[in-house]
Amino acid sequence: MAAERIAITVTVNGEPFREEVPATRSLLDFLRDDLGLTGTKEGCSEGECGACAVILDGRLVDACLIFAAEADGRSVETVEGLADGEDLHPLQRTFAATGAAQCGYCTPGMLMACKSLLDRNPSPTREEVVHGIAGNLCRCTGYGTIIQAVMEAAKES
Amino acid sequence: MKVVGQELPRVEILEKVTGQSVFGADVEPGGRVLCGKMVLSPHAHARIVAVRTERAERLPGVRAVVTAADFPAVRYGRFVRDEEYFASGKVRYVGDRVAAVAAVDEETAEEAARLVEVDYEVLPAVTSGLEAMAPDAPLLHEDSDEYWSQPDLNRRGNICGHRQIVRGDLEQGFAEADQVFEHRFHVPMVHQTYIEPHTALARFDASGKATVWVPTQAQFPLRAAIAQILRMPMTKVRVIPTEIGGGFGGKISPTIEPAAVALARKARRPVRIVMSRGEDFQTTNPRHPFHLRYKTGVKLDGTITAREIEVVLGTGFSAGSGVMISQGAAVRAPGPYRIPNLKIDSYCVYTNTSTCGAYRGPAGPQLTFASESQIDIIARELGIDPVEMRLRNVMEEGDETPAGARLEDVHARETLVKAAEAMEAVPRAAGDHVGRGMAAAHWLVGGQASSAGVKLNEDGTVAILTGVVDLSGASTSLAQIAAEVLGVSLDDVHVRTADTDFAPHSTISAGSQALKSMGGAVLLAAREVKKQIQQVAADTLEADPADLELDGNKVFVKGSPDRSVSLREVGSKALEHERGPIVSTQSVSRLIPHPAVAAHAAEVAVDPETGRVRVLRYVAVQDVGTAVNPLSVRGQIEGGVMQGLGQALSEACTFTDGKMDNPNLLDYKIFSALDAPPVEVHLIQHPCATGPLGAKGVGEPPIIPPPAVVANAVADAVGVRIHDLPITPEKIVRALKARPRP
Repeated sequence: MAAERIAITVTVNGEPFREEVPATRSLLDFLRDDLGLTGTKEGCSEGECGACAVILDGRLVDACLIFAAEADGRSVETVEGLADGEDLHPLQRTFAATGAAQCGYCTPGMLMACKSLLDRNPSPTREEVVHGIAGNLCRCTGYGTIIQAVMEAAKES
Repeated sequence: MKVVGQELPRVEILEKVTGQSVFGADVEPGGRVLCGKMVLSPHAHARIVAVRTERAERLPGVRAVVTAADFPAVRYGRFVRDEEYFASGKVRYVGDRVAAVAAVDEETAEEAARLVEVDYEVLPAVTSGLEAMAPDAPLLHEDSDEYWSQPDLNRRGNICGHRQIVRGDLEQGFAEADQVFEHRFHVPMVHQTYIEPHTALARFDASGKATVWVPTQAQFPLRAAIAQILRMPMTKVRVIPTEIGGGFGGKISPTIEPAAVALARKARRPVRIVMSRGEDFQTTNPRHPFHLRYKTGVKLDGTITAREIEVVLGTGFSAGSGVMISQGAAVRAPGPYRIPNLKIDSYCVYTNTSTCGAYRGPAGPQLTFASESQIDIIARELGIDPVEMRLRNVMEEGDETPAGARLEDVHARETLVKAAEAMEAVPRAAGDHVGRGMAAAHWLVGGQASSAGVKLNEDGTVAILTGVVDLSGASTSLAQIAAEVLGVSLDDVHVRTADTDFAPHSTISAGSQALKSMGGAVLLAAREVKKQIQQVAADTLEADPADLELDGNKVFVKGSPDRSVSLREVGSKALEHERGPIVSTQSVSRLIPHPAVAAHAAEVAVDPETGRVRVLRYVAVQDVGTAVNPLSVRGQIEGGVMQGLGQALSEACTFTDGKMDNPNLLDYKIFSALDAPPVEVHLIQHPCATGPLGAKGVGEPPIIPPPAVVANAVADAVGVRIHDLPITPEKIVRALKARPRP
């Protein structure tokens, strides 16, 4: 019954990891359970909430819908890699200042969605920000402060 | 005030934006953690004929299986003891707990759960509260007469609570009316839908002590519940609240925690249970579905002379907190108005669903949808401006609740007027099918027994010890209160939530009263610490303690700021001083509730072809007392509005044969950024007499008006009235088609 195990090499936040994982392991479980990077959250396991959003080779993906094996030879960015040491990413600073994180559970995925947006489009309109975070559900903030945080971060960088 | 009233970022914000916060599923207790899985009933109502666990137990990798046989025969419930942790005789909803398994990994646990064999004899089920009241409805609890319950609940059949309030003379009131209106409304069940699902991690050690890590709003009641269900003393149950990924009232009652403890005890290993999103939708404590009937008598000038109200709550398979919520519903049902003649009946009725709970502002959105829709209907019929009609009847200082409690700190009129003005300040958007609506509601914010400790460290910094879970910024606001009293900045104050073993007793984080209750305890403790600081500093400064002031991390003599001593010096000197370390723990008891009013207004555009409603503008005005941290307050209001708009326009748990049709985030649609309008927030700030430094409580009110606001705006836009939430495109199109052609 045990799934076949596969050896994979995945670069996470710039650091290469070589692990052997069951073929059915999701990228989310790989990050959380095998690498101990619990910043990325699980909200639904069905790709509907965006809490597990990470950046895979420059594209925003839901880590619950990707097999770890699919990330073999590729590069993943997670919330743990956003800050440069003590230096926060502009988004982390503006999220803190505007109150864009309340309970904080959607925050890691939301931050990655926003980073992905700003990587592609450094000065988005409000409308573009709304579309950029449309796949990430937040139940606390009502989204207004998140949109404000992205606009302010875009101005900063 | 220097710190209170400032928009300061949350004290825990850096952990949140760097992914370091430890939520329920992130806890690593050491040692290999087993995966737990619940075995749940697939039937809404059935007799359990047999439960066989042998096949599951034999599966390699399975470490424990528990059923009702592993639990003491305990019936529990705060109002009615009608609940047993694992169903023994009958299951009463889809998702009722039958057994639980623990295994080395998730796949094995899922397989083991499937291998637990349960024979059922299916019984007729009822999921509507109204239908469950019918004399021939299937009975959920045949032996309910034998259950212990609190007195005067008027239980009978499936009715587990009935409160009637009569004030004045109803018949006389209707006789005085020029017109009488009667309408029925329906509000379906909706779910809190926090983004973090329920999770629990339990460890059972050799001394017989259970430690449970859980994202809970209510660590002390949870400890009490686990101790009661498993018949353990409280010293043997330690609940450690983790960071919590949203609660909204859905993380108060016990769910998977007792099973995790029992599995850990049997397997002698830590066990973690994480609910799937589907389990979370179907087995937790959502908002009560309501059937409502409002009959209202009015004078032609809009004065309300009488209101007769009947509400029926479908509470689910057990009374839970539904009895309390239905009792509270009776008090708030007439809305924020003075109505001389009232008769209110509020029924709490068993149904074959999970037990509904205290979703943010319990009963508020349902009552307000009905009450404020009807006010709007009446105003339009009488040709009165709906704002004028509300102001003609609005409650004022010193008015009484239907239950006879005197209301103080009432700012309903000012809140209403501000909402109307803010909406009027911008001209109406162009277009044929644009409409505006408003609604007002009040929440009664009390306070619960709480205690907190405050101490001065040797370096002059301050630490606060509480057991209150930080759900929506409470820790930051508590730190601001202590900082204000002790003349330090927020950075000099450390505050974190301790667990049930170490924290003094704390209120739960619910009902908008966490800050009001715990803030009171922190304020008292900080003031006592200030006194102790003054005593110690008085010796150094050779001054009278009463002449000493605290500011800028210093103690100085009033009028002579250069005669000062730093808090750092006081903190270290105290250890040599006869008075000893500077520390105080203080308690507060229950507080009399005050009304916190929310008045909202919206402008919507309706597409008559598709029925689609777009919210163009949304104004939320709230009477908050002192806003201790306006950033948190505004954040709570914006978020509450969006949750309320979800209930208004898209959210509903629907059932077929007792099984939820839409237990996932695709079919149960909460608002995304695409749906969310900007929210314009205005705060009405008058210090509340009983709140700490005037704070009143903020969390519940903003979720209450939106369904009524949208219903009224839609009626204004296209002339159709929706009496049944949510206000979906289909309902609007159907109502438009059914309208007689002019």
